[in-house]
Amino acid sequence: MAAIALLIASAFTVIKSQDWKISDNYAIKFDGGDPSGEFKDLTGNISFNPNDLATSKFDVSIDVASINTGNGMKNTHAKSDKWFDAEKYPTIKFTSSAITKTATGYAAAGTLDMHGVQKPVVIPFTFANNVFSGSFEVNRMDYNINTAEPNHGGQKFKVDVTVPVTK
Amino acid sequence: MFKRIFFHGLLAAALAAIAAIMYNRIYFFATEADFSQIINYGSIIGGSLFVCIIAAFIYFGLVKWLKKNGEIIFNFIFSITSFACVMIPISISLPLDVRMPELFPGLAVPIIFFPAVA
Repeated sequence: MAAIALLIASAFTVIKSQDWKISDNYAIKFDGGDPSGEFKDLTGNISFNPNDLATSKFDVSIDVASINTGNGMKNTHAKSDKWFDAEKYPTIKFTSSAITKTATGYAAAGTLDMHGVQKPVVIPFTFANNVFSGSFEVNRMDYNINTAEPNHGGQKFKVDVTVPVTK
Repeated sequence: MFKRIFFHGLLAAALAAIAAIMYNRIYFFATEADFSQIINYGSIIGGSLFVCIIAAFIYFGLVKWLKKNGEIIFNFIFSITSFACVMIPISISLPLDVRMPELFPGLAVPIIFFPAVA
């Protein structure tokens, strides 16, 4: 009787995505040659279960003012209205709409909201030992960031994201 | 003559290093910005010695070559070079784990002038 009950119950078991807390030692690094640097403040909700990608979701944002290029003058410029305009657009946001399995890991398709422009992006990532690692490319021209000076610094930036998480 | 100039170079290096170390401590207590990864006792003493010894050699060469005008030319070159070097701490990119890079020029720029002043 118990075995039958267990069998019936298991048939209706719903696999729920696991919510993860972002640990402190994360890194969001960007490299466009000159400048390169990182963003310090990452917040948001990470809901991920490798066995239930349909209900998994990323909803994270970065504080633009936390940009650090290692140079005070460049930091000030990056935050100014000529570049990121941190006062008007204080956050960079990524919201996933679908997470799929790939040959090398996973891919999060979603919307990247930066500098007031929303663009669909696909971020390939891996998840191992409670660490999310992803790498993708962003073209600042697509987000209307200092389009007046296309050759001032790089246009394409490689973004490397490493986010350790805890349950 | 070279011995005397070399000794003056060493003395200037010691004075510049003492002034820089004192300023470094005051700056740290005032701002709590820690740049010890870049500016520390070793880099201050080493940098002061390097700059002042090189300056002593140049001074010796100029005085020997240009006699009276050598000192004037040397002072001019040293001042211009010190001013030009101000661009280094302003344009340098620090390691990303160094906090508050905005405050770095405030520490490094005055230190650049200490060898010339000494």
